[in-house]
Amino acid sequence: MLSTLLAGCGEDNSKTITFWTPLTGDDGAYMDQLVKDYNATNPEIKVKHVITSDMYTKLSTVLNSGKGVPDLTIIHADRVPGYVKQGALEPMTAVTAAQPEIKQENYLPQAWSTGTIDGTQYTVPLDIHSNVMYYNKDLLKKYNAESFLDDNVVTIDEMLSLQGKLAEGDYVVNDALLGWVILGQIQDLGGDIQENGKPAVNTPVMKQAFENVKKINDAGLMTPFGEDGYLMFQSGNVLFSTDGTWSSTAHAGVEGLNFGVTNVYSPTADKFTNRSSSHLFSMMKNKDRSEEKVAGIGNFLEFIRENSIEWAKAGQIVASKQVNESPDFKNYMQSFFTSSEKEIESLYIYTYEYYPYIAEAVDTYCGDIVRGNVDIDETLQTMQKFVEDKIAEGTGGAAK
Amino acid sequence: MKKKLNLAPAFFVGPHVILFAVFILLPTFYGIYASFTKWNLMNEPVWVGLDNYKTILFDNGSTFHTQFNNGLKNTFIFVLLSVPLLIVIPLLVAVALEHKKVKGKSLIQSIIYVPGLISISAGALIWLLLFNKQLGMAGNVFGSDVSWPANQPYAWILIIIITIWGGVGGNMIIYRASISGVSQDLYESAEMDGAGTIRRFTSITLPSIRFPLIYTFVMTTAGAFNVFGQPLMMTDGGPRQSTHVLMMYIRQLAFGNGESIAGMASAMAVLLGLVILVISALQYYVMNRNAA
Repeated sequence: MLSTLLAGCGEDNSKTITFWTPLTGDDGAYMDQLVKDYNATNPEIKVKHVITSDMYTKLSTVLNSGKGVPDLTIIHADRVPGYVKQGALEPMTAVTAAQPEIKQENYLPQAWSTGTIDGTQYTVPLDIHSNVMYYNKDLLKKYNAESFLDDNVVTIDEMLSLQGKLAEGDYVVNDALLGWVILGQIQDLGGDIQENGKPAVNTPVMKQAFENVKKINDAGLMTPFGEDGYLMFQSGNVLFSTDGTWSSTAHAGVEGLNFGVTNVYSPTADKFTNRSSSHLFSMMKNKDRSEEKVAGIGNFLEFIRENSIEWAKAGQIVASKQVNESPDFKNYMQSFFTSSEKEIESLYIYTYEYYPYIAEAVDTYCGDIVRGNVDIDETLQTMQKFVEDKIAEGTGGAAK
Repeated sequence: MKKKLNLAPAFFVGPHVILFAVFILLPTFYGIYASFTKWNLMNEPVWVGLDNYKTILFDNGSTFHTQFNNGLKNTFIFVLLSVPLLIVIPLLVAVALEHKKVKGKSLIQSIIYVPGLISISAGALIWLLLFNKQLGMAGNVFGSDVSWPANQPYAWILIIIITIWGGVGGNMIIYRASISGVSQDLYESAEMDGAGTIRRFTSITLPSIRFPLIYTFVMTTAGAFNVFGQPLMMTDGGPRQSTHVLMMYIRQLAFGNGESIAGMASAMAVLLGLVILVISALQYYVMNRNAA
């Protein structure tokens, strides 16, 4: 009797696609809506969206035990190489075979290729979310700096030209997502974070990237260390804010904030990079996932490809070309970044296997380096060691 | 006559024992086991014996050695700054609230206790705004031109303020309950013998509440060693890693941005546990002996 009761309380898991996402912010509600819209089409197998805080930790646990592995997940681009190396990801081969429109040509190229490892497709992209630069139109006018935007690239020299011209309490740029900015500058300078597969942190290019950004701080043009530069942009004291595509909805909610969006500042107008990541649909290895469910996942992903304009409301650059080339998408601020081939190319996603460690090192030390609190050469050495030590320890499990 | 087995105690104690075993005991032992392994959470742990401990404690060139030492040093600074205040302030408040002339005791107690119910994240946002140089009270009211979270000793002051703000209420409740249990006859006799307020406090109140004092001192110290949320939210470990406490490093290693280094994180956690164990035992021994 107890088992009957319990069965009654539960649901038939074979008819439900369990879909885990780490979308704990406002974007979780937009994904909820997409899932609701899909389920309203009365598919044979419905999708159950589970927002999972600390999702990667929970994924490790369920993968280790082999129990409770979700049927579908959203992971970030930088997780793909590690998961593939550990044998945790199921290729999307069955999905792409059943749904011919789920193919490279129908998605933003960077977003698609982050899931391609050794010729096998492991993910289907949902979006690109990027570091971008918002500007305060009123302040640009006030300081006669509207010309900075003529070529859609604000250079560091242009920013420095405002030295000594700002009223007290006003700043040219904030330090939001500073680590992402540094990683973008490395691309602008023609560098990389790896050399022959080895992490390359202590390099002349990395040093140059830090020094370039430090120039802005040294000139007194960056919001003070420790202050909330993001909030200072919203309060109308900062000309440029280097935060994310997803912030547009929050900025739009600030009364009186007259703002637009452009590329993150660069040393020269010839090259500009908006350091990006991507939300990717993926299937973690799960022996209990039936063929029927895989077919259901294919249906759902095809629905997303055709109908993910809802996702644009979350401020993201939708990866589906059908959506990002549609007239509806042009109504969203982030459509600026798909308005030309050059803009699309500027969305750079790091796919180096050990990128997460390098990003962690950059995030940990960038504030102190840019503010001149620490010696740059010494700290770059520390960062290099930081990454090497973590790689040596982190990859030494049974997965050799 | 055959003695009837009484299962009632087991019925009441059983659930606690089971929960304690499943959620505390087993993870603790597994954590100790994991500390002797190389493990990234995804794969089976590989036994490496004492390697993690050797690296953390003796390998001067290793990032993990540096992180452990820096984290432990910063944790000790937090403990030394916060624990005395988390003992003394609630005690003084509790004594003051027990005074006959104080009105609205329940309201005052609630006001002091409520911040402890607010999450650290929400509390941190409030205090960060208050101490924002440009937008908050710190600059506009006090005229401070320092970014508090980015400069020492202000960063520590900010962390201690939010800790005291959220932590005073709990100990205060324990002290109030203990003080209210002290016989009024003792105070009246002492007053008749000419004992002043301070004398009554040191000779009657303190000895009468020595066990709650020992309890709160040991528990507050152990809790302080586990500090995590306040520095994470207020300073993110800065400036110059000076508020990067050990629990932040452990969390980062186990569940950080990159691949998990759970074996090394477990070894650091075991070492931190040993430090807490030794200090708690010392505290208990010294205070209990002095109180005897």
